[in-house]
Amino acid sequence: MHNTTIAPCRRFSSLGCTTLAMIGALMLPTAAAAEPEEREPAEVYRQICSHCHASEYAVGPATITMAVPEAGREAWAEHIRGVVRNGRAAMPAFREAKISDAELDALAEALARGDFAESAEEE
Amino acid sequence: MSTNERILPKGVSETDFDAALDRFRETLGAEQVLIDSDRLAPYSKIMMAGDRDDYIPSAAVLPTSTEEVQAIVRVCNEYRIPIWTISTGKNLGYGSAAPGETGQVILDLHRMNRILDVDPDVCTALLEPGVTYQQLYDYIKENDLKLWLDPPAPSAIAGPVGNTLDRGVGYTPYGEHFMFQCGMEVVLANGEVVRTGMGGIENSSSWQVFKWGYGPYIDGLFTQSNYGIVTKMGLWLMPEPPAYRPFLIQYQNPEDIEEIVEVLRPLRIAQIIPNAVVIVHTLWDAGTHVTRKEYYDGSDSIPREAIERIKADEGIGEWNVYAALYGTPEQIEVNWKIVEQAFGASGKAKIMYGEEAEKRGGGFSYRSALMKGDMNLQEFGLYNWRGGGGSMWFAPVSQAKGSETKDQTELAQRILGKYGFDYVAEYIVGWRDMHHVIDLLYNREDPEETQRAHDCFAELIDEFAKRGYGLYRTNTEFMEQVAGTFGEPLREVHRTLKRALDPNGILSPGKSGIRL
Repeated sequence: MHNTTIAPCRRFSSLGCTTLAMIGALMLPTAAAAEPEEREPAEVYRQICSHCHASEYAVGPATITMAVPEAGREAWAEHIRGVVRNGRAAMPAFREAKISDAELDALAEALARGDFAESAEEE
Repeated sequence: MSTNERILPKGVSETDFDAALDRFRETLGAEQVLIDSDRLAPYSKIMMAGDRDDYIPSAAVLPTSTEEVQAIVRVCNEYRIPIWTISTGKNLGYGSAAPGETGQVILDLHRMNRILDVDPDVCTALLEPGVTYQQLYDYIKENDLKLWLDPPAPSAIAGPVGNTLDRGVGYTPYGEHFMFQCGMEVVLANGEVVRTGMGGIENSSSWQVFKWGYGPYIDGLFTQSNYGIVTKMGLWLMPEPPAYRPFLIQYQNPEDIEEIVEVLRPLRIAQIIPNAVVIVHTLWDAGTHVTRKEYYDGSDSIPREAIERIKADEGIGEWNVYAALYGTPEQIEVNWKIVEQAFGASGKAKIMYGEEAEKRGGGFSYRSALMKGDMNLQEFGLYNWRGGGGSMWFAPVSQAKGSETKDQTELAQRILGKYGFDYVAEYIVGWRDMHHVIDLLYNREDPEETQRAHDCFAELIDEFAKRGYGLYRTNTEFMEQVAGTFGEPLREVHRTLKRALDPNGILSPGKSGIRL
């Protein structure tokens, strides 16, 4: 269930979120519910980026996952943030309603570190 | 238009706009009201051949509940603020998340993303507009439900509510999405909430199972329209069948499209083949994983000789039919024999499934996934075919008859060729109809080519209409022109409904060519 998000929880405390979910349950038969908060970078990458950038699809460049030397990471992360928010050529733009600022910061840093790099040696 | 210049909604004073923004902030919290150009930038990325300056929002508001949407609408009525509603905003070749015109306030429903109910017994779901296919897919997998979704090609990042409301299609037997929609909750322009179908009955248990309710059926009024804001939608989900057999049939000659459609139509109408079949042309099948410049470097449309080389090198046909059988293994065996016999009669078809199909070039693997409702965005490889990020889906409807297919294909190729573009196309076969879906791919970074794409698209609309072919859907740049092709009496009915339901014209002005 961890991928089912309730947006109000972005603005309320976890206690407030539970209360809202309970109110919702009274109004409608609710199967899914709770648990919003920030998604981990790996989860954002899986849900959104990987569909085009994983090498098996090769729709978007897989090189976005390559680790960047430490000195260049900040600049690279900034570049990623810009492309995600503005799009570029065939790359769509992703607004903060889809990837929050905090999620994007963490994602950009994880990409720059090479957290999602596909290792050629493993194959 | 400078990004520093403040963009006000048409006819709204700065004082009134500020007052409205304050009221939005009171309702939603200041963080959910976006006015900075940086935060609004993602809303103005477009792929269609229009001027980006014509699609800049003046603000965006991000509600998280129906009550908040009601409050927003009331403020908009007071100050005459036009809002453009989006859900997941990934309607890429049809306008993306950009407003219908500069100065509208985006009503972004993506944070209304609760899965309210999934019933594995009657196979239904009740969703908010911001729910993505990926989110629903994950929910189904995590809860080990034996249900299949029917995503369109943008699958993971798009959502069922927005796609259904724009009358999009997918590739399983549930491919005609609006047919499998059941029950809506709609915020009207006056701020009232109406539930359609059985939803008006307090404690109704049949809201998601019986579409028609009582009295005139009105759900259709809220699709491709601007008469209300859908805040909840029910849909039917397909039970996972015991067996599934995707298959591929290839034909090698351009004129074979006639035979394909003639053989296919009775099999579709009788539901021997129950899913939304696609008949994919060479350039689309190759374009998902091959780039144009590997075969041709000219700026005019790709020549016949290059298409023949692609077919030979990639192991794909001129026409590539992707379809599937569903049911018990026994049912599949019986239906497979019928399919083999029907397509095998003329000796022109190469009929394959399993390993043999997987070994062929083209899109068998991602098509097989889509026809069972699995997520992938492989089709976006098409955006690399010509490069430059320009894409407009030209989608005229035809009846499932070979003669029409031949006529439409030739007409499209002639007009695209005149402007130097390629025929990158497929037919999606409905029950008796087909959506002839052509991706007009061009380089948006080249102003001359963008203008050429614009002129080409306009000519396609007019020339197809002259021969009786209308579009099922179009991008925001051409909504007015397409509405014109359907005639003034229909437009007048749309306008009459608009005046009655939204007398101040605040909801998505210009959507489908509808204004006060």
